[in-house]
Amino acid sequence: MPWRHTITRRAAVCAAALVAWSAAIEARLVYLQVVRHADLAARAERQQLRTVETAANRGDILDRNGRVLAYSVDADSIYVVPTEIGSADEAASALCAALDRCGSRERQALADRIRRGRAFAYVRRQASPEEARRVAALKLDGVGFMKESRRFYPNKELASHVLGYVGLDNKGLQGIEAAYDTLIKGRPGTVLIQTDARRQAFSRIERPPTAGAALELTIDEYLQHAVERELRAGVEENRAASGSAIVLDPRTGEILALANWPAFNPNAYRDAPADAQRNRVIQDLYEPGSTFKIVTASAALEEKVLGPDTPVDTNPGRIRFGSRVIDEDRGHNYGLLSFTDVIVKSSNVGAIKVGLTLGPERLGAYVSRFGFGRRASPDFLGESSGIVWNPATMKDSALASVSMGYQVAVTPLQMAVAVSTVANGGELVEPRIVRAVIQDGRRVPVPRKVVRRAVSPGTAATLTAIMEQVVERGTGTRARVDRFTVAGKTGTAQKIVGGRYSASDYNASFVGFVPSRQPVFTIVVLVDSPHGPNAYYGGTVAAPIFQRIAAAGLRLYGVPPSINPAPPVMVARRDDGWERPASGPAGPPAIITLERGAGGSASLFPDLRGLGARDALRMLARLGMTARLDGAGVVVDQDPPPGSPIERGAVTSLRLARDARADAARPDSGGP
Amino acid sequence: MFERRLYHHVDWGLLVAVLALCAVGLVQIYSATGGWTPIVQMQIYGVVLGLVALVICLSVDYRSLADKSHLIYVGIIGLLVYVLFFGAVRGGSRRWIDLGVFNVQPSEFVKAALALVLAKFFGDSRRAVVTRADLFVAGAVTAIPLVLVAQQPDLGTAATLIPVAFAVVYVAGMPMRILGVLALVGVLAAPMAWKFALQDYQRERISTFLDPAQDARGAGYQQIQARITVGSGGAWGKGFQEGTQGQLRFLPVAHNDFIFSVLAEEQGFAGVIVVLGLYLFVILRSLESARLAKDRLGAYLAMGVLASFAFQVMYNITMSAGLAPVKGLTLPLMSYGGSSMIATLAGFGLVLNVRMRRFTN
Repeated sequence: MPWRHTITRRAAVCAAALVAWSAAIEARLVYLQVVRHADLAARAERQQLRTVETAANRGDILDRNGRVLAYSVDADSIYVVPTEIGSADEAASALCAALDRCGSRERQALADRIRRGRAFAYVRRQASPEEARRVAALKLDGVGFMKESRRFYPNKELASHVLGYVGLDNKGLQGIEAAYDTLIKGRPGTVLIQTDARRQAFSRIERPPTAGAALELTIDEYLQHAVERELRAGVEENRAASGSAIVLDPRTGEILALANWPAFNPNAYRDAPADAQRNRVIQDLYEPGSTFKIVTASAALEEKVLGPDTPVDTNPGRIRFGSRVIDEDRGHNYGLLSFTDVIVKSSNVGAIKVGLTLGPERLGAYVSRFGFGRRASPDFLGESSGIVWNPATMKDSALASVSMGYQVAVTPLQMAVAVSTVANGGELVEPRIVRAVIQDGRRVPVPRKVVRRAVSPGTAATLTAIMEQVVERGTGTRARVDRFTVAGKTGTAQKIVGGRYSASDYNASFVGFVPSRQPVFTIVVLVDSPHGPNAYYGGTVAAPIFQRIAAAGLRLYGVPPSINPAPPVMVARRDDGWERPASGPAGPPAIITLERGAGGSASLFPDLRGLGARDALRMLARLGMTARLDGAGVVVDQDPPPGSPIERGAVTSLRLARDARADAARPDSGGP
Repeated sequence: MFERRLYHHVDWGLLVAVLALCAVGLVQIYSATGGWTPIVQMQIYGVVLGLVALVICLSVDYRSLADKSHLIYVGIIGLLVYVLFFGAVRGGSRRWIDLGVFNVQPSEFVKAALALVLAKFFGDSRRAVVTRADLFVAGAVTAIPLVLVAQQPDLGTAATLIPVAFAVVYVAGMPMRILGVLALVGVLAAPMAWKFALQDYQRERISTFLDPAQDARGAGYQQIQARITVGSGGAWGKGFQEGTQGQLRFLPVAHNDFIFSVLAEEQGFAGVIVVLGLYLFVILRSLESARLAKDRLGAYLAMGVLASFAFQVMYNITMSAGLAPVKGLTLPLMSYGGSSMIATLAGFGLVLNVRMRRFTN
């Protein structure tokens, strides 16, 4: 039977083909399921899982009175999923038409991004609301939006060096924004979304973002503004390269204002040159010159090497170390001076002699006791620690230089801390810029930190008296502030330019505190390379700036005059209690309010009618009183009536109503 | 009609393997559709009705069936013509006869009918070789239902008719010379067909098969997804109902054309090897039935039935592994589809029929 022969043979061929096929398929399956398993499994997971990061709200930065210095708003960032885009060029031109600032070059770049990308490409980050709305109206496939937080600095240049700025990725790049980045950034939340092929989410795991903490700075916005204004005016008047100023509360170490000129606008930090972004107060090292004689003098007084009236012979107005001759400013010869006058007249020879008497060990100890050579504060990034001599290797020539503030490099901040130490009676208080951290509605104040006692209160008091005379009759007379006693010291230091001391470039500085006996402000002003009408001296360039900053600050804080003060103020101050918490607001504002609120007479009850409940209570609180409220709106009636004598501890009752006019005829509101 | 002693000659091994594949298919459909869905129930009905059809096809002597093959053939042609005019439309194709409870797809039954009529034709032939006249007749008998099915349009099912005719002609002793000529014509005709006969979407399918990435979101999508599905399963699989690709609809028609990919994803290489082994066993066992058949009719019948089955199995698995263009060809015994299940089981009824009657007169 030939047919059976045929079928047997041909069935065998079929069977062989079948086996060959199955071998090929198995090889293929091994390849897919074993060799490429990891890769393909990852691809499966990738197309099923999308991770979306939800940005945390970055915390605000406030000044010491709660005024907002930096805040964040949500801005839409526009992105595309390129694989869902049909034509890159069409999509790019459609998107471009809806965006601001999108010329042909940007359009081309956008089209390239879409072509190259696979899953994600930015179209525009932090777009304006109008742009986002226009793009949404296009209803393009594959275009998405996500919220990103964008930082705003409402006061532009104000405190720019303190605040710093934030990059596109919500990361602080400079200043407080960088130093406290992890704290104010918060923790971004993530949403893990599993999607099906139609991108419909069917399960999501969410970790909500944790909002960042708000920071309350020690900066006072108004004082900061005044300091910046005066510093800029001073730098420009003196045609200087740059300038720095810092105002410190000497008792608490709180930095009330910190300014540099040139400054920059952190809203547009990319346009600002690096030079303008420098926070010179903490980054720039300079040789302090005569202001450093404060350290020399403190050491001498504390070590009882001499007293304020001890005579120091500065003849013949110069002193020689080998081939090096150091003389007095403009070739003076002061002759025999009291120690006080060595400082008041800023005699180099006198300071050197005092320094030589102290010796390197003792002087070096006081240099580090005053915080030089070490970073002053943990609140800043990129703070310089300064350069000081190791006492063991210090020769007489170097010792002489250090005694008058050369061959040491300090930052203005370190100088301010050292001066504050004298101002507050001898304690080195760590300077700080963050007053409190506000998180989840809880305000956690940063405590005052005393690093060490540098000198005794007696030494500090003696030195304060000497520094008062510097302003009274010495090199710093232009720092005098009407009706206030000022303690200060001038400094004029040659700058090193190209490796040698320059004959034309100086650092003019003035350090001091005011009012000298109960200081509210320590102020350091440094002007770099003045070439203006006031020459280059600390006493002629920096002291006037100090004076204007001090006057503005004292006025702003309502500090009572320390020369011939008005009696009621003194009474009030004693009542107010000088022993208030270290981090509390300065006491004096209460006094000025008192004067304003009671029309100059502290003992009479103010007219509260027409005020809102909050304002009325605040005014009463300043007088040390509380009130019982009745109704809502504005005060229409009060008991006791305006002008009656104040009794301490008495409870005031206020009647409030929505419409003030209907209920009471309040006298002219400008009355008091 | 059914002699008791035949019972002992039923190829139980083949039957068990076939039923095992049905069971695996049911489990995978359950898994892919996400539980006890109407789809699973319909498939169970399909298996039950298929077993009834299998028993019927097994009971009647295949020789008596072959004697009436021309009637069966004409009847099926009539149904195809009916479908062409009055059939139920789904997904743009007119393939179904709506019986109210469920739809019947006559084209599935064409394969068995064609195998029967071709087996009858060549089985009655007295010559040991196939002549050109025989080839012409066989070609015409195949072409009529093929054109009708292709008109529905259902190119996948239409294509499965070609292996039926080819297999019968091949084992009936077609000279290798003619085979060579056919192959040559095929090679020459392919570019012409590419240019004139194929629709744009068909051309696209082939070109995306050659380079799926050129249209990853469109026509190449299924192929890429099939590869990801199979590969992500790994050696041991993600586990029953854990296959994400199918369940999340990344792989379309997972319970249907891509049931094998779902199996590969959930049961891994291990599960795939078992199923592949079962199919191989079923096909080789059927081949054995053809070889052992008592007469030419039985041999050609078994061969014809086997041909469409084997072709579909091989094509579908090759496609599921991402090695062939995506085409609407189901995996018989496992894919969802009532008509297909019934027709396939009826076909195996015929194969069993041939084998168990190899000792009867």
